[in-house]
Amino acid sequence: MESLFEFLFKYRPLIFERGDFMFSAPWTIYVAAVVGVGLLVPTVLLYSRARGKSRPIDRTVLSGLRILALALLLFSLFRPVLVLSTVVPQKNFLGILVDDSRSMRLADADGASRSSLVRQYFGAEDSELLSELAEKFILRFFRFSAEAERIHDVSTMGFTGNKTDLGRALSRARQELASVPLAGLVLMTDGADNTHESLEEPLLGLRARSVPVYTVGLGQEEFPRDVEVSRVETPRSVLLGASLVVDVTVTQSGYTGSTVDLIVEDDGRIVNTQQVELPREGEVATVRIPFKATEPGPRVFGFRIAPLDGELVVENNEQEALIVVEDHRKKILYFEGEPRWEIGFLRRAVAEDENLEVTLLTRTADNKFYRILFDNPDEKLVGGFPTTREELFEYQGLVLGSAEASFFTLDQLRMIADFVSQRGGGLLMLGGRRAFVEGGYAETPIADVLPVVLEGTDAEEDFLAEVQVSVTLSGRTHPITQLAETIDESAARWEDLPPLMTVNRITEVKPGATTLLEGEGPGVSDQIVLAYQRYGRGKSLVLPVRDLWAWQMRTPLEDMTHETFWRQLLRWAISGVPDRVRVASVADRVAPEEAIELVGEVEDDTYLKVNNTSVVARVTSPSGMVDSVAMDWTVDRDGEYRAAFLPREDGLHKVEVSALEDGEFLASDASYVRVKDPAREYFGSEMQEATLRRIADETGGRFYTPSTVSTLAEDISFTESGTTVVEQRDLWDMPIIFMLLMILISTEWGYRRLRGLV
Amino acid sequence: MRLIRPTFPVFLVSCLAVSQFGDPGTALQTPDPSADFALSFAEARNGGPSDPAFPTVRRQWGCRGPHHGVAEDSLGKYEFYFTRTIYSGYRRGCSWSVDYPRADRIFLHGLRRMTVIDAYDMENPVRLDDPELLRFPFIYALEVGAMGLTPSEEEGLRNYLLAGGFLFVDDFWGTYEWLNFEREISRVLPEYAVREIPLDHPVFRTVYDVDSIVQVPNLGNGRSGWRTHESDGYVPHVRGIFDDNDRLMVAVHWNTDLGDAWEWADDPYYPLKYSNYAWQVAINFIVYAMTH
Repeated sequence: MESLFEFLFKYRPLIFERGDFMFSAPWTIYVAAVVGVGLLVPTVLLYSRARGKSRPIDRTVLSGLRILALALLLFSLFRPVLVLSTVVPQKNFLGILVDDSRSMRLADADGASRSSLVRQYFGAEDSELLSELAEKFILRFFRFSAEAERIHDVSTMGFTGNKTDLGRALSRARQELASVPLAGLVLMTDGADNTHESLEEPLLGLRARSVPVYTVGLGQEEFPRDVEVSRVETPRSVLLGASLVVDVTVTQSGYTGSTVDLIVEDDGRIVNTQQVELPREGEVATVRIPFKATEPGPRVFGFRIAPLDGELVVENNEQEALIVVEDHRKKILYFEGEPRWEIGFLRRAVAEDENLEVTLLTRTADNKFYRILFDNPDEKLVGGFPTTREELFEYQGLVLGSAEASFFTLDQLRMIADFVSQRGGGLLMLGGRRAFVEGGYAETPIADVLPVVLEGTDAEEDFLAEVQVSVTLSGRTHPITQLAETIDESAARWEDLPPLMTVNRITEVKPGATTLLEGEGPGVSDQIVLAYQRYGRGKSLVLPVRDLWAWQMRTPLEDMTHETFWRQLLRWAISGVPDRVRVASVADRVAPEEAIELVGEVEDDTYLKVNNTSVVARVTSPSGMVDSVAMDWTVDRDGEYRAAFLPREDGLHKVEVSALEDGEFLASDASYVRVKDPAREYFGSEMQEATLRRIADETGGRFYTPSTVSTLAEDISFTESGTTVVEQRDLWDMPIIFMLLMILISTEWGYRRLRGLV
Repeated sequence: MRLIRPTFPVFLVSCLAVSQFGDPGTALQTPDPSADFALSFAEARNGGPSDPAFPTVRRQWGCRGPHHGVAEDSLGKYEFYFTRTIYSGYRRGCSWSVDYPRADRIFLHGLRRMTVIDAYDMENPVRLDDPELLRFPFIYALEVGAMGLTPSEEEGLRNYLLAGGFLFVDDFWGTYEWLNFEREISRVLPEYAVREIPLDHPVFRTVYDVDSIVQVPNLGNGRSGWRTHESDGYVPHVRGIFDDNDRLMVAVHWNTDLGDAWEWADDPYYPLKYSNYAWQVAINFIVYAMTH
């Protein structure tokens, strides 16, 4: 199409885009007007007065054709030209940025690798492109991946970079060439930026300096055959033995409808396998796969699909995630307003779970309590439910049983709400005659926290129902409700469980809350059995049934549903509950020689932010070397401290953070980060045409592919950047003008013949 | 651990006084008017009033008390049901119904007054081989010296206990009756031994501090003050069967009659101290069963 345009209009479209149109005839506009009128008026008069056989329509057509021919002639006589800025040879610099990352090794350029094209363009002495560019410009080469640097010869490039940062590369080149006349930048890359950083700022800098960027996209926009495990969402830490349900995102091309095995590995040991039907091309499949974390410590979980026949890239078939499997006790306070069977059965269900420490406090008579504690039995909870934030906030979870709201003071109710929103704890309210609306919780601070709507202050009188529990669509794949190895087996298990009794009519969840279990019974439908929502930093759950123990008493002895459910419920409720001091690295995996960025948060025992205190991170390398790094308060965010550390070894690094206030130890936390070559270069590594076009369009450059790159040198020469001269290019001799003239005259003659007017 | 020491005798007397004479002005929790402990002799003999709201339990001719379970609209409504086990035995199979239902109702009345337990205020007899037994995690059995379980009852009781149920045994005396009970329970739980529950066990501290094991006499002995024991059961014992996780599954009160102490707590000639103790021990064990 472009060559046809060039044949008709003499120049390529780019010339027309870059040039300004004007007439360069020496006559003034008045002379032109007189000549025009002088030609047109007699023509019109002659044709309008002519008689004979011609009809008015004939005269109109013929005069029109003749006027158009004359106008075309007149247009040419005025000598139309394009005024262009072109660079002065060897007076301007041209920056050539070449992608040095690993994705350039992919062989998707007609069987050749992307890097071989780079060598062909700039590494070979007989390269036409190189000689054309070198003829017009002074060339400056840069290679880039995570960083950009000047090079003299592209043949020295190894294409080993493990990151592609387009924005940083463009900014660096612009800064380095800021003091010279710069005609533009050539960006030779696949465009697969994997920094997730915005390009807005680098492009703004280029636009401000009027530096056009000519992007050359290497590789295919879509691989013919490939499967990619694009994304895995996992928590950073879980309790030992926790059930996890992880979302794994899979994309593919060329394998629509195929079924593959998605394998989960815990440090190389297979912990689950699930069959996945690959989605249609261009679509994303999100697979939820359950598994258990059974080994303590920092564990690397792998999620992979075995390479398929004909796959171009196999490195993107696997994602890894570092999960710290914690093997210490989490504290839960279970408060009951009356002795209930749920207490004993719950305690029995979690008795063998060494990571859960359930402290029980139950009222046995008015103002009389029975405590079952784990530590300091003589001191804690003597006066009943905690009255201070320090006392309550030492727990990660709180289970409220059948205890009426009026039992608590308003301060205690607010404190429970703060326990969820500020401390980030997990709150679970159980059903019972003194819970929810029946317990007078509507319009209390706790009603705001709960995921369900508590309507009115009067309970439905004597509501009592036996409901068969079923799992909702959300519940099918939730970690709490996984009762079997696979999601389907788990869903089937729910259908066989004994019904449960409820005395709390709850049917509506708040916006943003999720229902996992619901119940139906005679005259009762849509009864919520288990729902949750995030509230502030924590989460709240409701379980408005009164005899979950029926799943223990009324099922076969070997059935472990009751135990499994309680453990998963409590573990999930307290998962992710923050400690007073927290540390995490911005990424759980960094490349060698990449800095580990640490972010910490410090709070006191009432979970109020502590600013400007002493926070030190001790980083232990795999070989046991310890480095201490002071973490500084970020000032703009309360309680947040940051530091960066450059690792000297590959492997797993342990980061322990301690906070001191006035010389006294506050608390500590530990985290892990891996230093390892990342495989991110192989994810989303198709040529990103949209990104490259955007860079070109926003800077006034142009996008090229290997098939169009031959005009690059000439195109760049038409620029207003750098040292340029103005030149005019004639348009009067465009073939299209001659052709149009011939067509008009021929048409007039043909019309006369047809109408017998010759 | 006891946090606040109650004036228990005073409270119990006031509670019973309310129940006997009725005090509509009391701020305390009042019992259900249908809880009529003064069952007529005819009702007791004939198996109690016939009421279609109550599911009928398989009748055993000659046994005392009404033969019905929990009223349908009350099943599942309450947390605690004082469930008396109907078991087969030697005295025409009626030893399960001794003191029934008066002791059950008066005990429940006291339980509701002295604790915040959400207790159903009527009796609830259930057969050991009835699958419905699994709805009630606490069961009471007495006069087990005459117990003679059928294979289906053995299986029902075994499944019940291993699933998490709790058996409270009371009112049997002397070596002969002990040997009978021991033989029966060893067929139910052959892998577990019966052992003494020491006084420092938490079960004696859940609600009330029980510092000694008291021999509670039956009505006649209590009224006369002549003696407290029966047969050769001179020393009272509280024994138990614990599961693999040291959970108390069976509590055995031997050489003592807590049931009579509940049933006749309103008798002016029956010593109040025995009733006090009987309630304290039973409440302790119930709270322990519910929380462990």
